[in-house]
Amino acid sequence: MDSLVARYSRPAAFQNETLSDDQYDDFQNDVSPSLSLKFAMPPVAQLTMSSYLHQPSAWLRAATDDRSNPNCPIKIAHGTTTLAFRFKDGIIVATDSRATAGNWIASQTVKKVIEINNCLLGTMAGGAADCQYWLAWLGMQCRLHELRHKRRISVAAASKILANLVYQYKGMGLSMGTMCAGVTPEEGPALYYIDSDGTRLAGNLFCVGSGQTFAYGVLDAEYRYDLSEEEALELGRRSILAATHRDAYSGGYINLYHVKEDGWVKHGFNDTNPIFWKTKLEKGEFTNVTSSLE
Amino acid sequence: MPGFDFSNYNRNAALHAQGVPLPKATSTGTTIVGCIYDGGVVIAADTRATSGPIVADKNCEKLHYISPQIWCAGAGTAADTEFTTALISSQLELHSLSTGRKPRVVTCMTLLKQHLFRYQGHIGAYLVVAGVDPTGTHLFTVHAHGSTDKLPYVTMGSGSLAAMSVFESQWKPNCTKEDAMSLCSLAIQAGIFNDLGSGSNVDLAVITPDKTTLHRGFVKPNERSQKLKNYKFKRGTTAVLNEKIITKDDIGKYVSVHELEATGEERMDIDP
Amino acid sequence: MAMFSQNPVLNGPNYSFAEVPQHAVDGLREHRFNPYTDNGGSTLAIAGADFAIIAGDTRLTAGYSINTRYAPKVFKIGGSTSSQDDANILLSVVGFAADGEALKERLDAVCKMYRYRHGKPMSVSACAKRLSTILYQKRFFPYYVHAILGGLDEDGTGAVYSYDPVGSYEREQCRAGGAAASLIMPFLDNQVNFKNQYIPGSGVGHELQERERVPLPRNEVEVLVKDAFDSAVERHIEVGDGLQMMIITKDGIEERLLPLKKD
Repeated sequence: MDSLVARYSRPAAFQNETLSDDQYDDFQNDVSPSLSLKFAMPPVAQLTMSSYLHQPSAWLRAATDDRSNPNCPIKIAHGTTTLAFRFKDGIIVATDSRATAGNWIASQTVKKVIEINNCLLGTMAGGAADCQYWLAWLGMQCRLHELRHKRRISVAAASKILANLVYQYKGMGLSMGTMCAGVTPEEGPALYYIDSDGTRLAGNLFCVGSGQTFAYGVLDAEYRYDLSEEEALELGRRSILAATHRDAYSGGYINLYHVKEDGWVKHGFNDTNPIFWKTKLEKGEFTNVTSSLE
Repeated sequence: MPGFDFSNYNRNAALHAQGVPLPKATSTGTTIVGCIYDGGVVIAADTRATSGPIVADKNCEKLHYISPQIWCAGAGTAADTEFTTALISSQLELHSLSTGRKPRVVTCMTLLKQHLFRYQGHIGAYLVVAGVDPTGTHLFTVHAHGSTDKLPYVTMGSGSLAAMSVFESQWKPNCTKEDAMSLCSLAIQAGIFNDLGSGSNVDLAVITPDKTTLHRGFVKPNERSQKLKNYKFKRGTTAVLNEKIITKDDIGKYVSVHELEATGEERMDIDP
Repeated sequence: MAMFSQNPVLNGPNYSFAEVPQHAVDGLREHRFNPYTDNGGSTLAIAGADFAIIAGDTRLTAGYSINTRYAPKVFKIGGSTSSQDDANILLSVVGFAADGEALKERLDAVCKMYRYRHGKPMSVSACAKRLSTILYQKRFFPYYVHAILGGLDEDGTGAVYSYDPVGSYEREQCRAGGAAASLIMPFLDNQVNFKNQYIPGSGVGHELQERERVPLPRNEVEVLVKDAFDSAVERHIEVGDGLQMMIITKDGIEERLLPLKKD
């Protein structure tokens, strides 16, 4: 039964996919990649599968998922803390900047806030390439919407375009947990959570990634809707700091954004280390850390 | 109870079944060779020890002492070659003491193969045994599972094919000591340059009826080049949260302190 | 054709199979083979104020064997002819050599087509984005490579872009890739971005000032690259033989080949 389902339930985007097609396609659109989505598939027979193991997605997992297979040949960048919350003056978006591949810190300077356009922001958690590619693609769809309808896209619509897209690929191995934040005249400040399972939620406050629990701990304790702009920025910063302190897969720099009605404003990309010591020494927090000898 | 301790065996097997990887043993992906000549035998080895793709030791010793006139070159798991040769060396010494005769190479080889066979290859020692005893000059290989060979020239380890190509193309019967030494050295160098598991220098031992000569670093074809820049940091470059100074007098209560003469750049700042 | 009918079950070229065909379903047999090999080697790229350097060793390995002592990992991209004399972009690929070669060929074809249609070379930032999409096109059957792209940006400043196998990318000051990346990258963090270096005597305790980050001059960067590779060769068995260094400046691309240890 499973094999029957698997056989007939492949997403429409993948019908008639072969390697040679893909190669031909590349020469066709070497300058302007077409809007149709074509992806090369692994050379795994797809005719009659007696076991789940023989699915392309299982093959991909064996080759790239470092959690289920620590010796996998291809390590994909993972690990993150991101958060976003709504308050009276807009939306605060904050992230760390660390990318890890297994135990290796691949980068400490990743830009996990993706500027979809000048008033929409997306965040990156899960596979870095998945988020970068699909949020850039979402930017393109949003621009097309503007051109077609002569007005800006709503955050609800934008997030739904992305959710529908990832749902098409469900079970294929995409890994992304993203938030879309924007302020539009019809919606006001709007915040959506979308993940690669196909979940799409509207809400006031989200934390995503391996360090989400640590960020929630601080954010939930201090959050109010009528926070002032300054308080809100500080809360975003402090929540990420807490996560970088306790989650080994989060760290690097704190990336802070404030989304307002007339677009987003960037509030710096700052090293966590001096912020940590400033927080500890000036506010008397993090008393668990001590530099005393004996 | 003498011998190996198996008390963690079940725990480790259970952990391994749950996906906990086994700890990596330092393995000497190695080239070792031996060659008989008229009047003695030569054995040689490279000096690289690896742990996966990482070089663990650039100049390790793979030529092991068994008795004054019997030496052993080891490939495989570093710890296994070291302990197995030490164990057999000890047994052979006791045997020689009780019989009042010089130890024989066949005896050594037999003890090794019986020990290794008992452990069914779990002791990962691959050895070249060579020596001179009252019955003559001998050269053997012993595999981890317990099989042995007796040949005029032998190679073992991951570089054995590279090394054997040298013997097969250049070996001649009735060679002199110098011939055997250069042939073994060339065979090891073939391993050093063509096998990634082997590297650095050539160690070589010549065993004759009256003495054994160990040439540590017989050839050094891979000296490290000089660094182009000086990477010494200025004092105070590292951030310090807190410090506690222990004076020479303080530490002198627990250990003996010796002043070392140093000059110029080498000098460290020491409290008076 | 004879070559392709050697293997009756596959009806294609022969591969070395990790697993032989196990079972037959509906009269069809199924093969599983591993399409990837790790060919070892390492690469390194550093951006300066008016130049970028990309370097790679030239050893190509499979297991404990050396397949060749001279296989370049750094390529000129987007010249108007195959000689690549007027190329303005450098690409280094490390990992699976066959995928690396395929990726280089594809990116070069794309850049050449751009030059032909627009009558001007592709900018580095545009090429960087395009490389990301080329890698992502194979999201479900990735190129097993760590790619690094180098060149000069619109202001003439050195630019280095680094990629993961499926196309996530970022512009950086420096990046090491491949087998010895974990040996070289910490050295670069310290010597290029001056991580964990403070100015001696600039303050007490938390007042101590971090060493200011300034782009290094070209001669110093070349020294760092050579020292990094000499050290990697000492401790990694898959790195060695030769060091290929490409330096891109406003005057074009210079190539240097230096010897490394061969053991």
